[in-house]
Amino acid sequence: MKILLEFARGPLFRLTFAVMVLGLARILILDIWGMIEAYRRAGDKNIPWKLTMIRTVEWLFPVKRVMHHRPLYSLTGILFHIGLLTVPLFLFAHVQLWRSGIGFGWFTLPRLWADILTIMTIVMGAGLFFGRLGHSKSRVISRKQDYLWPLLLIIPFVTGFICANLGVAPKFYHLVLLTHILSAELIFVLLPFTKIAHCVLMPLSQIVMTLAWKFPAKVDEDICVTLNKKGAPV
Amino acid sequence: MNRVHVTKTILWMLTGLALAVALTRFAFGLGVTTNLTDTTPWGLWIGFDVMAGVALGAGGFVITAIFYILRQEKFHPLVRPAVLTALLGYIAVILSLLVDLGLPWNIWHMMIYWNPHSPLFEVGWCVMLYTTVLLLEFSPVPLAETSRWANIRRVLMKFRFPLVLLGIMLSTLHQSSLGSLFLITPFKSYPLWYTPLLPILFFISAIALGLMMVSFESLCTSWLYRRPAENNLVARLGSAARWVLGFYLLVRLLDLKISGNLALIFSGNWESWLFIAELLIMAIIPIILFSIPRVRHSATGQWIGSFLVVAGTILNRVNVGGLTMVGTTGEYYFPSWMEVSISAGIVAALALVFLFAIEKFQIWETRPREPESDPHVQPAFSRGGQTWLGSPSVAGRTRYSLAFIIAVAIGFALIPAHKIDSSGVVDIVAARALGGDTLFVDGNRDGFGVAFPHAAHIKAGKGKESCVGCHHMNLPLDRQSGCYSCHRGMYLTADAFGHDWHASAAGGNVACVDCHTRGEDRTAATARPCADCHKDLMPEGAAIKVNTYTVPSYADAMHDLCIPCHRQAAATNSDHPDLYRCPTCHNGKSPDWPTLAGRQPWKRRLNNHNILPVVSAGIEGPTP
Repeated sequence: MKILLEFARGPLFRLTFAVMVLGLARILILDIWGMIEAYRRAGDKNIPWKLTMIRTVEWLFPVKRVMHHRPLYSLTGILFHIGLLTVPLFLFAHVQLWRSGIGFGWFTLPRLWADILTIMTIVMGAGLFFGRLGHSKSRVISRKQDYLWPLLLIIPFVTGFICANLGVAPKFYHLVLLTHILSAELIFVLLPFTKIAHCVLMPLSQIVMTLAWKFPAKVDEDICVTLNKKGAPV
Repeated sequence: MNRVHVTKTILWMLTGLALAVALTRFAFGLGVTTNLTDTTPWGLWIGFDVMAGVALGAGGFVITAIFYILRQEKFHPLVRPAVLTALLGYIAVILSLLVDLGLPWNIWHMMIYWNPHSPLFEVGWCVMLYTTVLLLEFSPVPLAETSRWANIRRVLMKFRFPLVLLGIMLSTLHQSSLGSLFLITPFKSYPLWYTPLLPILFFISAIALGLMMVSFESLCTSWLYRRPAENNLVARLGSAARWVLGFYLLVRLLDLKISGNLALIFSGNWESWLFIAELLIMAIIPIILFSIPRVRHSATGQWIGSFLVVAGTILNRVNVGGLTMVGTTGEYYFPSWMEVSISAGIVAALALVFLFAIEKFQIWETRPREPESDPHVQPAFSRGGQTWLGSPSVAGRTRYSLAFIIAVAIGFALIPAHKIDSSGVVDIVAARALGGDTLFVDGNRDGFGVAFPHAAHIKAGKGKESCVGCHHMNLPLDRQSGCYSCHRGMYLTADAFGHDWHASAAGGNVACVDCHTRGEDRTAATARPCADCHKDLMPEGAAIKVNTYTVPSYADAMHDLCIPCHRQAAATNSDHPDLYRCPTCHNGKSPDWPTLAGRQPWKRRLNNHNILPVVSAGIEGPTP
């Protein structure tokens, strides 16, 4: 068990963390590159920049839309995100690990706050899962990963909370700690390749959408061929 | 996937792996990444990348000499690839030198601080100048792609002939001066390799290698892009190479005969076998192969022959560069995987540049292209915005970037962390005491220690005035000294003064007479007191007065500082009668709690998450 723990904390952590950071950087660069190319190719270069920027900011901080539709569910989502980002980044024990690993650390959450936020994240994660499951319209547009992600994301929170707060038998403790680390590493690896990539692509989503509708000049014929409707009026 | 895709994916992965290792090398130094020692300071990076890199770049000057000086115009298709290969070869040399140098940021020194007696100085200058010349020789090719730079291209074309002449001259100089470099090791190199003729041997072998490198590179790229190979030209190059190799063999063996070392070839030790293998691979077998016309004109014969010369010459450079010194130094060196990956990565990265240039510029008569995607394929949506932005201009960039980042991540995962951990003294957290909420006090840095509720102590001590109760050394910028900087011994009394540090130029840089009076005995008793220089060393009102250089051990110092206070507090605070007992601080509520009374009492590992209960428990720990 100790060897497994050492492996999970050492090489496996470096591998998965690097995959996450570089993977996110990669998709960000690829998307920006694709956007620049789409803009160059576009027949109509008239892009509503200002409107797109406003929409981007609105979607990044969706306070305006909370009350729009299913307010409770939206609020659950926002609170979930707050806990999801702050606890792993500013937990004292995590920052301490960074200090011993890379030589410097940063601001940490007070203990009580960390506990409250952890419990909040777990509850909100479960809320997101059931909120999706229990709503017929949500079910229609949901993919498998939409159900699995909230569940996967709360595993490290539950196990971390157990490690930090509850006195457990030694063998069980190591198992829980291992689960904590491995589940977090699974999240790292999957992150750049699934919908969670929105953590870096979100700021681009509106502009990508706008650019995608600016087709290359005289491409209508190609589109018809692609859609098996050759000769159809455009 | 076709072979171009597979090859490029592999090259990207090698580059990625090397990038991770290179970052580690620059962050943590050569000790972490290489197996080099003071006895074997030159390893794979010098033997393979620098020595062989320069040699492999010989194709540039050999082919330009054949084309421009000997006016053999039929070799025109080989000139551009040869010049490009040479340019990339020299960039490889510079890159690997930057990785290998202990102080790479001083690489410009040779331009200002001249040492004309050093062959290394000549090599450095020649590499620098020749790389510039190659760049100027090659730049008309990419410049031809845009009309914007037409004027510059015209000027460069005008100076082409002088540039070619300069290139040949510089190559002649430093191909041989790489050999001169090893004239300094007559007693270190094995006699079968050491000879005063090393510069001449290096130059002759470079010519043969140049011919064969161009052939090998032409065969490789033709295979890669499925185009007809230039077998006729390669056969001609092979025919020329056998004469050069024959001459090389003659000079080398005659030199051994004259120096009286010829018998060593048959002495039966591993050096003699290495020598025989080297000569067979590098010269004898290729000479035989290229002397048979049928083999010389066959693709297989050309492949084998050119590969053998290239591999054999690399082996020769590695042998001269250090392998044959092992017998004298007695220190066996085998490159670490990280050294190998850097070498492979540099070659891979430059191979990618080569392929890029072949696809983008007019290197060959016809430009090869990666297969483009069909415009009428149903688009696959991108991951992020679920949006299709059109097919990418660089084919396969999604695949290559994925291969690259995965290789970088694997590189980071494989790096031996224990080497990094042991690469010097790491500051313990207690040294960064300013305002910390909870500190981890770990004197011997073994990962075990106690969590120290710093903020709670400040509060209990009624504010910042209480700091001097514990901290009694004040460093510049009002930083606290780490406890261990004086209490150096974990369990032994130590000397806090550090006499040698004060006297050394890299440390205090103080002259003897700055502290000791002239003419008197130089003892601690007669020296000036510390406070004469270090005026603010002791904060006013510090609880502990420094009267002597002798300091208690780290463990004793910590305990003497903590226990009296705790004992006093316990006496006055009936709520916490056990406050002064060991488990108050060494309260390892760890998973091993039941066994703690045994082998490792009071130990608490930072790496476990259960540092948290300590923080929440404050100074109230469980009692056994």
